[in-house]
Amino acid sequence: MIVENVLFAFQEVFHWKNLGLMVIGTTAGLIAGSIPGFTITMAVVLTLPFTFGLSPVEGLSTMIGVFVGGLSGGLMSGMLTGIPGTPSSIATTFDGFPMARKGRPGLALGLGVWSSFFGGIFSAVLLVTLAPSLAKIGLEFGPWDYFALVLFALTITASLSGETLVKGIIAGLLGLFVASVGEDEINGVARFTFGNETLESGFDFLPVLIGLFAFSQLLSDVQDTEKARRPLMSGVEAKGVRVEHLAAIRIILSRWVNVVRSSLIGVFTGVLPAAGGSISNILAYDQAKKASKNSSEFGTGTPDGIIAPESSNNATAGGALITMMALGIPGDVVTAVMLGALLIHNVQPSPSFITENPDIAYAIFIAFFLAHFIMISMQAFCLRAFLLVVRIPMYMLAAVILSYCAIGVFALNNVQDDIWTLFVFGLIGYGMKLLGFPLAPMILGVVLGHVAELNLSRAISLSGTTDQFLLDMVTRPWALFFLIIAAFSVVFPWYQKARETASWTLAYLPALMICLAVPLSMMDGWPRTLIAVVLALGAVYLLVRSARRGWSVSTDDAA
Amino acid sequence: MSVSRDTIVAILLLAFCGVLWHASYDIEITNYGTMPSTVWPRIVIVAIGAFSALLLLRSLMLREEPADDAAPKAPFFQRYRNAGIIYALFLLFLLTLPTLGMHLGGALFVFLALTALGRPSARLIAVHALIAIVSIGVMWSIFTFGLRVILPQGDILPI
Repeated sequence: MIVENVLFAFQEVFHWKNLGLMVIGTTAGLIAGSIPGFTITMAVVLTLPFTFGLSPVEGLSTMIGVFVGGLSGGLMSGMLTGIPGTPSSIATTFDGFPMARKGRPGLALGLGVWSSFFGGIFSAVLLVTLAPSLAKIGLEFGPWDYFALVLFALTITASLSGETLVKGIIAGLLGLFVASVGEDEINGVARFTFGNETLESGFDFLPVLIGLFAFSQLLSDVQDTEKARRPLMSGVEAKGVRVEHLAAIRIILSRWVNVVRSSLIGVFTGVLPAAGGSISNILAYDQAKKASKNSSEFGTGTPDGIIAPESSNNATAGGALITMMALGIPGDVVTAVMLGALLIHNVQPSPSFITENPDIAYAIFIAFFLAHFIMISMQAFCLRAFLLVVRIPMYMLAAVILSYCAIGVFALNNVQDDIWTLFVFGLIGYGMKLLGFPLAPMILGVVLGHVAELNLSRAISLSGTTDQFLLDMVTRPWALFFLIIAAFSVVFPWYQKARETASWTLAYLPALMICLAVPLSMMDGWPRTLIAVVLALGAVYLLVRSARRGWSVSTDDAA
Repeated sequence: MSVSRDTIVAILLLAFCGVLWHASYDIEITNYGTMPSTVWPRIVIVAIGAFSALLLLRSLMLREEPADDAAPKAPFFQRYRNAGIIYALFLLFLLTLPTLGMHLGGALFVFLALTALGRPSARLIAVHALIAIVSIGVMWSIFTFGLRVILPQGDILPI
């Protein structure tokens, strides 16, 4: 059965039309990722209107191409100009730019491109092996557990969104509210329509998303008149640069530990809802620096400083896809858009997604592998295209893309009201950005609002009473598990700030481990009990070690 | 004493919650044995209210917002001029959509946006007109012929 599905998926993905779309998607992603001010999310969001006319496999393959291309495209501008194309390539510039300035731009680009490739392939292998297993665990979830999982997704998104936690949570809650406008799925009752008939069907998710992300981003990009009128980049010297493929591969293979470690960091970060490549590339760079015997060379153009961020940011994509495919929860905003693309085709992502839609699931696996090969082969061409695109002023791109947003949003449902939704949410998104509210939690709130309400309703019905529901939430192992990590994720920003100064932070990790050991020990099967015991023992060890050191936070650094 | 931006935002959010709470009484209560339709939105409204109150408290306790940068900021109108122009033009595009249709309206929007944001010069105006016609023409063709989407037709040019 699996072989049949894989063969069928191969047929679909390697169809000439799909291959053509993937090449276009990856190329577009590479170019969009290389332009500062453009984000990968925006590139994927703008691809969305095209996908409704395509089959699910074609649409998702194109979006995966854009996603993978975008993650690798950021390195071009970062290395050649010192300005990262996307936030997921920030750490790449730390060593990529100095190496290019030292006269080795070809090697710097080669290291970046091939590290992206190896990181991506590593995460693709993990995606294929882990997603079906994780989906099996997901099948154990009841409505209580799903409701708790959504709470966790929102709290972790808010705490990792880089802004203040309170604003992040408010943004997430506003997203939940937006999702509740219109006819309620459970009882068919209209809510918050204020007498407006067009609001009865609620806000369509995709115009909201395009408005919040693309529209508001474009307005931010043209806010400064002088900057908007200048070419996107000036003084880019890349004529005659040849990517040194073989030399780069040799160097990367000789530093395979760094590739594996960074890729693992990338996958783990991607699995967490909303923690994307912008976080993983810096984490991986930091870990590579700490692990290196020549840490003082970091920042001067060392290969390890390019390998770590680039392999981790591409690996993040695989991690995000694992969460989406196994649990039906978007791993980041890009996968939230992909989730929207699946919904256009009436495919509901859930733990049963892989078993119910094996053709699409295996096609996603194969397309993710294939996109990395396309990315490698298109890099040289895109370097030339990048040099042409950066001559265009931002205001020209912004005006054209805004009109495209309007056409694309209309094309999704053939409804003019959707353009009004785009307009209103463009305004809201721009305002929220100006006021320091992160947009990622709001997007997740809009996507997960229905899931949360539906599961809350089911859970209350099954529990019988509200009291019993509350009791179930803390006695069901998975629900308790997610509630615990949700609670710890709320405290995480304070922990991160105080990590090297306050002694209470030494108890954070052990406390989390002990708390997680409780629901794990309540679960069936000896492996989980074993994990619970290991976690508890690990926590005790950490506590004893900290106590012996007198709860001093700077012991390691001082040593 | 100056009031910080977060304080104003928090107060507005609290007022918004009040409006939503009041509007939640208009939601029909059904008797299907399922969770009433008011429960979930009210949970969300209460949570928004609670966190807005927290934001208000925090902004009052901190009193002053951290400055984004030391450089002096441009006047309000100048800072948000471009965003304002784009919104006004987009609103105009939406209002005239039934008359002008997607092709004419879209081309006009792109042309006006480019001209408003770009440098004032006769040569650039010609370039902007060309960009507007070509970009909308290409997009219109892709969606109409490639994706078989009938884009909104105007009264002036019903195609």
